[in-house]
Amino acid sequence: MSGPTTGAAPATSAQVTLAAEARRARLGVKGPGAAQWLVAQGVVLPMAANTWHSALANEARQSLLVARLGSAEFFLEEGAPSQLLARLKQGLESRPGGVYPVLREDSGFTMGGAAVHDVLNQVCNIDFAGMPLDGNPLVMTLMMGVSVLVVPYGNAVGRTYRIWCDPTFGEYLGDELATIVGEFGGTYRGVQDESRSS
Amino acid sequence: MMYRLDPRSDEWIDRSAPLSFRFEGRAYVGFQGDSLSSALCGAGAQYLGRSFKYHRPRGVLSAANHDTNALFQVDGIPNVRGDVTALRAGMRICAVNTFGGLFVDRARHLDKLSRWLPVGFYYKAFHTKRLLPRWERMFRRLTGLGSVSLAAPREITPKRYGFCDVLVIGAGPSGLSAAMAAAASGARVAIVDEAPRLGASVGLSESSRQTLRQLTDAVNHSGSITRHPGTVAAGYYADHWVALVDAQHLTKMRAKAVVFATGAIETPAVFRNNDVPGVMLASAALRLVSRYRVAPGRRVVIVAANREAYEACAELHSMGVAVDTILDLRDSLGGDESIMQECAARGVEVVVGHAPYAARRDRSGALCGLEYVAVDASGARKSAAVKRLQCDAILMSVGWTGAAQLFLQSGGTLSFSEELQQFLPADLPAGVLVAGRLNGVYDFDARLADGRRAGSAAATQAGFEIPAAPSVSRSERRPSHAFPIMDHPDGKNFVDFDEDIQVKDLEGAIQEGFDSSELLKRYSTVGMGPSQGKHSNLNALRVLARARNLSLRDLTTTTSRPPYHPVPLKILAGRGFHPLRRTPIDALHSAHGAVWMPAGNWRRPEYYARADESREASIDAEVWAVRNAVGIIDVGTLGKIEIYGPQAGEFLDRVYAGKYSDLRIGMTRYGLMLDESGVIIDDGVIARLATDHYYFTTTTGGSATVFRELLRLNALWGMDCALVNVTGHLAAFNFAGPLSREILQPLTGVALDDSAFPFLAARVGEVAGLQARLMRVGFVGELGYEIHVAAGVASSLWQALVAAALPRGLRPFGVEAQRVLRLEKGHFIVGQDTDGLTDPIEANALWAVNMRKPFFVGQRSLRILEQRGPRQRLVGIELNEPTPTVKECHLIIDEGAIAGRVTSITHSKTLNRSIGLALIAPHLAGSVGDIRIRDDRGVLVSARLAPTPFYDPKNQKQKSESGL
Repeated sequence: MSGPTTGAAPATSAQVTLAAEARRARLGVKGPGAAQWLVAQGVVLPMAANTWHSALANEARQSLLVARLGSAEFFLEEGAPSQLLARLKQGLESRPGGVYPVLREDSGFTMGGAAVHDVLNQVCNIDFAGMPLDGNPLVMTLMMGVSVLVVPYGNAVGRTYRIWCDPTFGEYLGDELATIVGEFGGTYRGVQDESRSS
Repeated sequence: MMYRLDPRSDEWIDRSAPLSFRFEGRAYVGFQGDSLSSALCGAGAQYLGRSFKYHRPRGVLSAANHDTNALFQVDGIPNVRGDVTALRAGMRICAVNTFGGLFVDRARHLDKLSRWLPVGFYYKAFHTKRLLPRWERMFRRLTGLGSVSLAAPREITPKRYGFCDVLVIGAGPSGLSAAMAAAASGARVAIVDEAPRLGASVGLSESSRQTLRQLTDAVNHSGSITRHPGTVAAGYYADHWVALVDAQHLTKMRAKAVVFATGAIETPAVFRNNDVPGVMLASAALRLVSRYRVAPGRRVVIVAANREAYEACAELHSMGVAVDTILDLRDSLGGDESIMQECAARGVEVVVGHAPYAARRDRSGALCGLEYVAVDASGARKSAAVKRLQCDAILMSVGWTGAAQLFLQSGGTLSFSEELQQFLPADLPAGVLVAGRLNGVYDFDARLADGRRAGSAAATQAGFEIPAAPSVSRSERRPSHAFPIMDHPDGKNFVDFDEDIQVKDLEGAIQEGFDSSELLKRYSTVGMGPSQGKHSNLNALRVLARARNLSLRDLTTTTSRPPYHPVPLKILAGRGFHPLRRTPIDALHSAHGAVWMPAGNWRRPEYYARADESREASIDAEVWAVRNAVGIIDVGTLGKIEIYGPQAGEFLDRVYAGKYSDLRIGMTRYGLMLDESGVIIDDGVIARLATDHYYFTTTTGGSATVFRELLRLNALWGMDCALVNVTGHLAAFNFAGPLSREILQPLTGVALDDSAFPFLAARVGEVAGLQARLMRVGFVGELGYEIHVAAGVASSLWQALVAAALPRGLRPFGVEAQRVLRLEKGHFIVGQDTDGLTDPIEANALWAVNMRKPFFVGQRSLRILEQRGPRQRLVGIELNEPTPTVKECHLIIDEGAIAGRVTSITHSKTLNRSIGLALIAPHLAGSVGDIRIRDDRGVLVSARLAPTPFYDPKNQKQKSESGL
C-alpha cells in the first residue's frame, strides 16, 4: 500500500522518528453538495466515510491526500505544490450550492519507526498496531486530550502515521510527543529547528 | 538462622556480582538477582520489619509479593516490597513503622498492652467526644507505613494502552499452557505474572520442572505472545479491560477474552506465635531456596495438611535443605502414604494427627522450637498434653485459597467445595475462562491440560477458530485442611498478619454481632491491610463459620474490588497530560514580555512586563494607551464559528436570544445564548457576511461546548445549514483606541470612515496584504477593530500593526487591562458576573432578547421567569472609599444576612474611583442608600449603586461621535 506523500518521512534507522511538517496547502469542504462538486472538479473521493485516498484523477498522482471525514465533509492536502487547491478555493468563492469551505490551518506531524506503536500506546487508546490498513482507514480520536486526525499507512515492514491537530494545540502535541519519542531513543525534527532532537 | 546455600546452576543470583547495601544502618552484602528480603535473609538478618499494631518482629511469610511486614523505606521511597524488589548496590534500606529503628523499636511494648487493645478498640475509644483529640493525636503518631520524603527522586511512570485478543493472567503451568493454546489459533496473546520470571512456579518434581522450563521457553520464543513478567493485574474493569501494573507503567490492557490462571495462594496455619520470624509458608521457603539459595534454617519443621507439604520436603531435600520433622494435622494421609514414606526414608520424622500449638522463642526472640498437640480429623484438640521439639524454621503447608479476586471483579461467582475446601468458580461471564488451581485442578499434568482447554476456549471466544480441547476433572484429593486453626489461651495466634488480628479478635467481633463476612471485615479490619486478606480471609471465614456453626458453603466471600494489589500513587498519577493551547503569535507575546496566565486550556498574556514597571503600573499603562492612543490585544482565544446555508439565519434565531435572520449583510449584532431554563450560558458577536453565511464568536471558555451543542441542535432540527468551528484556524486581534483608525487606514483598502464602516459593521478585505475580516466592536469602549485572519499569517499581521502603531504610543495589552477596560464600560463576563442561575432579566440584558420571535432556546422559561420576577440583579457599584481589600466574591451584607456578592471589582485610574459589578438582592437594586461589603478582614466596606457604563455613558467614543 502506498501512503500519502510526506515532506518529512521518518528515517528508518531510529526506533521512532517524529517530524513536524511544514505548512502545506490544505482545504476543507463540507455540505450536502460537497462530494458532487469535488468530483466535478476532478477529485477522486474515498467512497466510505473515515477513509482516505491519495490519488487524483487527471493530475499528478500521489500529490493530493483526500480524506473523507463524514458523508459530506472532506479534508484535502497537497503533498507537492500544484494549482489544484488554489483552483478549488477560487471555485468556492462563487459559492456553489450546498458546498461550504472549511479553513484548515492544522498542525501536522509524521511519526514512524519500529517503536511507533509504543509511543502511540502512551498517548491514544486506539489499537493502531492491530488495525488493518485495507481500505485506507483514517481515525478521528483524542491524543493526550487533543482531537486529532490520523492517517496510518505502510506495509508489512513498518507503518507511518500522519497526524493533524488544531494549530493552537500543535506546539503542545509536538512537545509531548517529542518527549515520549525521546524516551524511546527517537528523534524529533521540528519545522523551525531542523537539528532539534529529543 | 537462615543462611546461603551452595550454588546451583538454575539459581537467580549472580554470585560474581556482590552488592553492598545498608539496612537499618548496618552494612550487608547480597548478590545481583537478590530481592531485598533474600539478600537480608541470606546474610543472616533475623528481622525484616515490625507488625502494624503490636510492633512484633516479622520476617518472610510468602516471598511472593504479599509480605506486608517486610515493607521498606528505600532511598526515600516508602513501602517498597522487600520480597519482590530487586537489590541494587548502595541501597539504604530501613524498616517502616518503627520508632527508633527496627531493632530497638520503642513501640514494641505495645505487644504487652494488647489485652487493652481489643477488636473494635477504635470505635469504642472514639465514641467519647471529649477524648477524641487525644486519640487522634496518638493514632496519627502511631499509624502509617513509611514516610513521604520530598527528597525522593521523581520517576517517569507513564500510562499506556495495550491490546490483545487473549489475556492470560498467571504464568504457571496452566497459564503458560493456555497462552500456547490460544496463540496456536493465531490470536494475539498477552501473558502476565507478578513473579519476575515466567514459569517460576515452585513445589514441582524434577520432571515437572523440566516440562515447565520447556513450556516457558516455547512461550518466550513465540512471536504472538507478549510477555509481562513482574507485572500485577491490579484490577478488572468492564469489557475485559485489565489494569496491569509493573515497576514503571500502568498498562490499560483491552482483551477480547481473559484466562484467569491466577493460581492459589498458600494460607498459613494459625497457632500461637505463628508470626515469629522463621515461621513461613512452605512455598516461601521453596522460593527462597530455589531462586536465591537461601535456606530457611538448619532445623526445619514442616507443618503439613496436604501432599504439597511432602513434595516441598522432597524438593528441599533435593536442593540441599534437610527437614527434621513433618507434623501432619491429618490423622489419615488419604493417598499420600507413599510420598510420606519417601520422606521418612530420607530421615524425616513424620508425626501424624498433631497440630502446632505454639512457636517458642529463646531469650533473644529467635525461633527455637515448636509446641504441638494431638488433634482429631476436624482439627480439634484431643488431649491436654503438649509436646515440644526444637527447630529454627517452621514451614506451613496446610492449604490454599484460590486467587479469585480478579475473577470476582469480572463478575464471576464462586461456590464452596467441601471436597477441596476451596471456593471454586461457578458462573463465568462471557469471555472469561479459568484454569489451574483457581479452578480446583492441582496435579501438574492436569493443570497443563486445563490450561490448554481454557486457552482454546478463550481464543474461540475471541473470534478465532480452533478445536476445543478436552475438559479436565478437578482434583480428587484435598489440598486444604478444613480448620488449620489452633486456639490458645494466651492468644497471639494470628489470622491476619497485616493488622495483627488474632482468633480471639474475630471471635469477639462475632460475639458483638458482627457476624457476617462483610461486617466482620469492617469491624475487625481483617483483610483490610496491604495484602487485602490474601492470607487471612479464608481463615477468618473459618472462624466465623465455626462460631455460627455453619459451613463455609453458607457464607459468602467479601466483595473484591480493584485494586487487587496496592498500586503506587506514582503509577496512578502517570505522566500528566495538560493540553495547552497557544495562539499563533505566542512567541511574539513572549518577546513583548508577556506574563502568562491560564484561561481555560489557553495561556494568555495577563500583562506585558517592562523592566522599569510594577505589575500594576504596566496594567495602568496598558489601559491608558487604549484610552488615549492605541492598544492591541490578542483575542484569538475567542470561539469562532462559521455557519453556512439557506437556513443559517433561522438557526441562529433559534439558538440565540436575539434575531439575526434580519441582520443586514456587513453588520454585526451582540448575541446572548441561553439554556433551556433561560440561564445565560454564552455570548458573542454575530456578523453576517453573506445571505447564507454568518460568522460569530463565543466566549473563550465556551467555544468547544457551544459548538458541540450547536451541532447537536442542528442534527436535532435537521436544518439546511452547516457549522464549521474555526476557533484555532483563525487568529484575531482587537486594535483599539482613539488613534486606531488613522493608524489602520494606511494598511488596508477597506474604507474605515464612519459612513463606510460604521460602528457594529463587518467588512472583508486585505490588511497589510493579508485577507482579513474586520468587525467594528466596542468591548473596551473605544474606537476599535477586531481583525480576524488565518492562523498561518497572524504573526505577519501582528507585526505590521505593531510596527505601524508603536511610534504612536501603542502598547499591547493583556487580559488584566481588558478586564479594567470592559468593567469601566460595565460589560459583564459570562461565568464571572453571571452564575449558573443568572438569566437576562437579572443581568439587565433584555435588550439583547427578542421575545417576539416564534422560538429560541430558553424563550419559554424566560416567559415564566418574567412572571416570577428576578431573584437577584446585576448592578454597578462604586466604593465610597478606595479599598483594595474588597475582592471578587466578597459578600454583600444587608441586615446581617447575605444579600449578594461582588462579581467584579477594580480601581479605575481613568475614573479615579473603585468600580465593580455585583449580583444583589432585588430589593437592594432599587435602593438609593449605601450597601455594605464584607471584606477578608471582616470589615464592612460601604459602597453605592452606580449606573453603567461608568466610562463614556453615552458610548460616544466607540462610535467615534466625538472622534475623527
